[in-house]
Amino acid sequence: MIRSSSSPLPAEVNGFLLGTIQVISAEPLDVVNLLSRAHHPSAGGVVLFSGEVRDSNKGREVAYLEYESYIPLAEKMIHDILAEAREKWGLKVAIAQHRIGRLSTGESAVVVITAAAHRREAYEANQHIIHRIKHEVPIWKCEYFSDGGHEWGNNCNC
Amino acid sequence: MKIHVYARLKDFFSPEFELNAVAHNTDELKLRLLEINEEAKSILDSCRFAIEEGFIDHDHKLKENDTVIIIPPSSGG
Repeated sequence: MIRSSSSPLPAEVNGFLLGTIQVISAEPLDVVNLLSRAHHPSAGGVVLFSGEVRDSNKGREVAYLEYESYIPLAEKMIHDILAEAREKWGLKVAIAQHRIGRLSTGESAVVVITAAAHRREAYEANQHIIHRIKHEVPIWKCEYFSDGGHEWGNNCNC
Repeated sequence: MKIHVYARLKDFFSPEFELNAVAHNTDELKLRLLEINEEAKSILDSCRFAIEEGFIDHDHKLKENDTVIIIPPSSGG
């Protein structure tokens, strides 16, 4: 079950109705469920990327992360990025979902799944999509450290 | 004009507030915001501005009843 406070976007690709997938989710991401929606009879390669919460950064122990987003614009931008990638790489399926709220180490913060006729297109498109989501979409990460400090992310090391 | 800020900008401004000063475009809006907190200059210089579901350019004409979203550099993923 995928739910969030934001409105759902349709995920229909080449006539295959994948159901509705919230691109911004306040609930834990169900990676297995998302992958189960990515199979397509014309796709010989499916690539799944899951960005997960690491337990340390810059030598400091991470206690947890919090993500926030300007949801109306973030949803539109992710939707547009997926549509452009579908067109450019001829993807059969393109799915992205980003978590907001408080996340513990090991949880999935973002999932991108791409399915294409061949693996090369699926890999390239997947990298393109996650890069654009990280650097362009209005989503922000704040790291809370075990030493009591916190720091807003700036994406300079990815 | 209503202002919404996110992420690191919340260290300098309230998340949502009403700006009573006049700002005809985002350049003027930045100046009005610096009058509230001049320490925000560095982060404001790296921000984008949006209204509803779209980014706006620096010469976009702002209206008194606009809600302007100020968007720091992204750090998702």
